[in-house]
Amino acid sequence: MEMGVFLLVLVAVFIWGNLWFHLVESILGFVRRILTHHKKPTVWHAFPENEETEDD
Amino acid sequence: MGLFSKLFKEPEIDLEKSNANARKIRALFNHVVEDGDNYRLIFGYTEDVSRFDYGFVHGSKTKIGNLIVGWDEAGLAIAVVPTVPDLSGCGDPIYYRRSGIQKAYRNKYPTDAFIIYPDKNGYIAINAYDWLDDEKLYVYISQKEELVAFTDFFINRFATK
Repeated sequence: MEMGVFLLVLVAVFIWGNLWFHLVESILGFVRRILTHHKKPTVWHAFPENEETEDD
Repeated sequence: MGLFSKLFKEPEIDLEKSNANARKIRALFNHVVEDGDNYRLIFGYTEDVSRFDYGFVHGSKTKIGNLIVGWDEAGLAIAVVPTVPDLSGCGDPIYYRRSGIQKAYRNKYPTDAFIIYPDKNGYIAINAYDWLDDEKLYVYISQKEELVAFTDFFINRFATK
C-alpha cells in the first residue's frame, strides 16, 4: 500500500515536472516571438543537389 | 575473446554512411563559404542556440544546434555553419578570425568544449567528439583524425590563453 502511494507521488511529480517545463518553454517562446517580431528571418540554404550527384 | 567483450561489444560505425555525410558536409560548407576548400572540416554541436534561430533540434530538455566547423590553418580563422542532423540544408556562416576575437580557450569543466568569445557580449561553445551515436540529434560521422587535428589547431594556434 505504502509502495503504491509512493509510486503515485513519483508519477505525479513526473507529470507536474513535464507540464511545468512545457509551460515555461511556451511562455519563453511567446516572449521571444514578440521580441524578434521585426527581426530579419534567418537565411537558410537547401542542400545543393547537383553537388551530391557529382559525388555519387 | 572473453565473455565481457562479447557482452559489451562497442557499436560498429557504418563507414559508408559516415563517408557519405562527410561529402555532404563538404558540399554544404563550400556552398556557403567562399574558398571553402581552404578549410578543414569537423562536425560539432552547441547547446547555446541563441545565435541560431533556425536549424536546431530538441533534445529531451536541451536544444542542440548542429554545426559544420571549418578551420583555416593559414588564415587562423574558424567558420561555423549551422545545419541539421540530416544535412538537408544550412544557414549562413559565422567567421571567427583570431585577430578579431576577444578570447578563445578549451573548456575543462563541465564539458571540454571549444569556447570562442567574438566580443564581450556573448560566446559560442563548440562541442566536438570523434563519433556520436544518436542520429536524431547529431550528424552521423566518424571523425577521429579531424578531432585530433582541430584540437591541435585550436589549442596551439587559435586559443588566446
